Amino acid sequence: MRWLSIIGNRLIWFFPTMLGLLLIVFVLSRVVPIDPAVLVAGENASAEQIERVRGHLGLDQSLPRQFLTYLGDVSQGNFGTSVYTRQPIVTDLAIRFPATLELTFVAVIIAALIGIPAGVLCGLHRNSWLDHFLRVIAASSMATASFWLAMQLQMIFSVELAWLPLSGRSAGFIPETATGFLFLDAVLAGDVRLFASALAHVILPALTLALPAAATLVRFTRNGVIAALNSPSVSYQTAMGLPRRIIVWKYVLRLALGATVTQFGLVFGVLLAGAIVVETVFDWPGLGSYAVRSILSSDYNAVMGFTLWTGALFVLVNLLVDLLQAAIDPRGSA
Amino acid sequence: MPGRLRRAAKWRINWLKWFGDMMEAICKTIVKSALFFILAVMFGGSVAQAQTESRFVYANTSSFESLDPHTNFDVPSAAVRFNLYDGLYRWVDNPPQMIPWLAESYTVSEDGLVYTFKLRHDAKFHDGTAVTAADVVYSIERIIALGKGAASNYIDIVPPGTTTAPDAHTVVFHLKTPSAIFLKTVPDILIVNSALVKSKEVNGDWSGTWLARNEAGSGSYALVRHEPSLGFSARRFADHFAGWGENPIDELEFRTVQDINTRVLGLIRGDYHGTDGYLPFTQIQRLRQAANVKIIEQETMRIFLLSLNNAKPPLDNVHFRRALSYAFDYDGFINNILNGSVTRNPGPNPNTIWGNPADLQGYSYNLDKAREELSKVPGPIRPITFEASAGYSDTEQASIFFQNALRQIGIESVVKVSPWPVVLSHLSSSDTRADIVAHWRSAFYVDPNNWVGEMYGTRYQGKTSSYYSNPEFDRLLERALISNDQEERRKLYEEMTRIVIDDAAAIFVYSTRWNGPYAANVEGIRFSPVSNGLDLRWASMKH
Amino acid sequence: MRGLLRRLRRDRMAMLGLGLLTCLILIALLAPYIAPYPEDVWEFHVELRLSPPSTDTLLGTDRMGGDILSRVIFGARLSLLLSGISVGVALVIGGSLGLVAGFYRNWISDGLMRIADVFLAVPQILLAIAIVQILGPAIENVVLALSLTYWPFWARLVYAQTRSISNEVFVEAAMALGVPAWRVMLLHILPNIASPIIVRTSIGLGGTVLAVATLGFLGLGAPPPTPEWGSMVAESRAYFPDAWWYTLTPGLAIFLTVLGFNLVGDGLRDALDVHMRRGVD
Repeated sequence: MRWLSIIGNRLIWFFPTMLGLLLIVFVLSRVVPIDPAVLVAGENASAEQIERVRGHLGLDQSLPRQFLTYLGDVSQGNFGTSVYTRQPIVTDLAIRFPATLELTFVAVIIAALIGIPAGVLCGLHRNSWLDHFLRVIAASSMATASFWLAMQLQMIFSVELAWLPLSGRSAGFIPETATGFLFLDAVLAGDVRLFASALAHVILPALTLALPAAATLVRFTRNGVIAALNSPSVSYQTAMGLPRRIIVWKYVLRLALGATVTQFGLVFGVLLAGAIVVETVFDWPGLGSYAVRSILSSDYNAVMGFTLWTGALFVLVNLLVDLLQAAIDPRGSA
Repeated sequence: MPGRLRRAAKWRINWLKWFGDMMEAICKTIVKSALFFILAVMFGGSVAQAQTESRFVYANTSSFESLDPHTNFDVPSAAVRFNLYDGLYRWVDNPPQMIPWLAESYTVSEDGLVYTFKLRHDAKFHDGTAVTAADVVYSIERIIALGKGAASNYIDIVPPGTTTAPDAHTVVFHLKTPSAIFLKTVPDILIVNSALVKSKEVNGDWSGTWLARNEAGSGSYALVRHEPSLGFSARRFADHFAGWGENPIDELEFRTVQDINTRVLGLIRGDYHGTDGYLPFTQIQRLRQAANVKIIEQETMRIFLLSLNNAKPPLDNVHFRRALSYAFDYDGFINNILNGSVTRNPGPNPNTIWGNPADLQGYSYNLDKAREELSKVPGPIRPITFEASAGYSDTEQASIFFQNALRQIGIESVVKVSPWPVVLSHLSSSDTRADIVAHWRSAFYVDPNNWVGEMYGTRYQGKTSSYYSNPEFDRLLERALISNDQEERRKLYEEMTRIVIDDAAAIFVYSTRWNGPYAANVEGIRFSPVSNGLDLRWASMKH
Repeated sequence: MRGLLRRLRRDRMAMLGLGLLTCLILIALLAPYIAPYPEDVWEFHVELRLSPPSTDTLLGTDRMGGDILSRVIFGARLSLLLSGISVGVALVIGGSLGLVAGFYRNWISDGLMRIADVFLAVPQILLAIAIVQILGPAIENVVLALSLTYWPFWARLVYAQTRSISNEVFVEAAMALGVPAWRVMLLHILPNIASPIIVRTSIGLGGTVLAVATLGFLGLGAPPPTPEWGSMVAESRAYFPDAWWYTLTPGLAIFLTVLGFNLVGDGLRDALDVHMRRGVD
């Protein structure tokens, strides 16, 4: 029953939120002092050609009318055409989404592999020098500008040591992929070279992206472990004389992980925000660099399409997290 | 604990237990498979690919959003225009000359209105069909109808529907007015396979959508694959009429690599075999030190200027413009910021082309003269706006550098940096364009009209953005466009150049030297200022 | 209060952060006096461009020949100013909205929070980028963009805090005694929710410094040749990795500043939490 109420609640607010978002971006895009008709018509277009393009793009209609037309198009799955790539925006988003997803996935794995054990250590040895040390490292990770970190990593690993490529997702064309996920396709096709290439290209961006997320995970896991150590069930077990190691491995960790997962929505937000800068610096062909490029080239249809997509994604993730939280803690918190 | 809560608590712990178990399992699987694949990579990944064919990878600065030869006319798209397509004539070498290509010869009527081209008989499209005059007619009609790319060269001169094909190998152009430059712009009419293109037409779009992602040409290489943000690859067309020499390049790939460091590193590591020749000085030095890279040096016809908005006060005042021209430290910019890697070019035309007066001096850095000219400009002067192109550091540095100098003569300014498409969009109207925009002017065809004519003729407004309008200049221009007499034209362009410099219509800074980096085993790069080293027709690679 | 300060003093990390911040503020205040070449903010010496660190220019010169150390020092002023004002404006606007919304809790407040949610549905940095891109690169536009981007955070925080406090007995008592609403909000509720706000402010300032630098990196920020840390890193990309000093210094400056804010914020959080609720972090 709670599930339904949670889902229902989210859904009710989904549409107005999306509408509001679109309205904001739409207003922003029409306020812009660039004439999109000129951009589409091209450099050498004459005045009549520009007018023709303007009519074709529907820019000669009134603003509310344009917005309604846009909404109508969106409801039919037509997000418009990108001025820059001249492809339907839906196609652009569909091509770029797997790239961002893959990057984020690897980043999550790295962040978890670094952050969770570190957080557990901090929590178990609270207020020791190890705790302080790791917490400072975590704070430093949050303080480092990702674009700067990216350049330093590139300098060390790509230029000096020449172990890893500087940027990009692949060296040139990727083989016609079935799923758009290079790792998956490589495994499916048994293509070791593709796997190796994908791995080499994803490491630096994923590492840059993972560090702030790892820092966040350290904090949450630490808090979770401390809470778990103070919880009644663990006190009970300690009183019962169970060895500390078993308590830690069997109960504390699980309680802590459970608490961490509920914060996943926040981690996801951190990752998505970080992906925007990381993708731009590393030339990663994902949604983040697409968004930045669209904004900087005044390709506002693309910006609106991206906003829709990300907004929907956020809502979905928050919904999942809420459901998960309800499942784990049926008494419900906030 | 009450029963309900105890059950709930148990459920909660079970969920957590289940979740914890799952996380453990996932972690173990990930670690195991990662180890496995890392091992596989270490042992399997070092197998070198057997090289039976030669493959040339060019790292390109910008992306190839559209492959349509009739709508793209910028420098990077030369990769498409020169390799996948052919024109009636072709620009090669430096100093550039026009050689017959799909056409064998031409004749002009007495009145200069009728151009007849005889096509060669052995040219084929990539699908095997022969190149005929009908294809040429379709191509010029398509260019004019779409009105983009090179169309502005022809729109005023070739009326739609007037080009005829009396037989399969003869094309006749009927011009509206005689034109001295028409012949020089003929190489830009790229011939498409009319039967194939017509079959892909949708809603009267002249197959624009299809041709943006596909190819219908007769050029030396045939398109294999195209991804807009990644680039395109092409295969050698063995039946090309110009034949092939030894060790021709079998596969071409033009790959989009935006970051300079990636391009340079890639060249050094052997991932790429060529990249653009306009890299910053420090990068060229780095490449010179690499054993497997060679640098080909050439003078180009690509000039760098600070274009002024001649229509907006106070830049509409010649004294203000002259003051600006005296205030730029040309030598400081060229020698210090650009490390002397370019050549001072004081006029609108490149130094290497005819049409420059012999006594051409241009302006030099002189703050006293600048102040003197400035004193003749009335009233307080508003802040001047610069617009530089993001990612093109010369434009940014020139703007900031100039801003500094202007401050010394009491002029305040603001520098705005935008992506090139945005700068371009602003240039389309004299109200939206910034006061000073630094950019390059490349050679699209080899005639001073390409520079001084098109940049300052009133008839070209809309194509270029100087918003300069001088009836005396236009009179000379009209005559120069029609005249058949080379000597007369030379004098006319020299006079026009003198006028433009006297009027300080823009600040002309340098002409670029091209330092083309290529892999050491690549031969036969025939650089021309029009193709900028992207023409690989005669290139070969030794294994 | 005294206990709070004592706890803070014992937290070594927070002291480190405080030390960093004090240095930063001093540097920003005394910039014209401690920078070796203060005129390099506007003047260029292109003959000296891209020189490595030397006795004259301790941290090398940039592409226009300006002394990097001096420019970074002046950059501190810009960063502090921009982030301070942005956070201040966002705090005042968002905080007031949150306070009122949390206190009245009617459909207007719900609507307000939903509007805040709309702003939060996109990654913040994108919104900031879009706003600056449209308005043009200028200092005022950066402040405007960041304030518009971050006010929802403060609104939500203050809203949640106000809501929980409003249920307390002393608030009900005040209302029953006829204290006007605005007095209740300002004098009774606000002081009690101050601690999470203060903690969030410190961390928020760090995040805003990063955001300002990111905008500068993308070319959206103060127009050249204003010395901004992010745009200096962006400029250095073309000369990288040869001119390593060009990237290193502004990046370190960003790092130390944000670290300072984060450490102080973390320390405050620990100290205030223990003060407020004895128990877990």
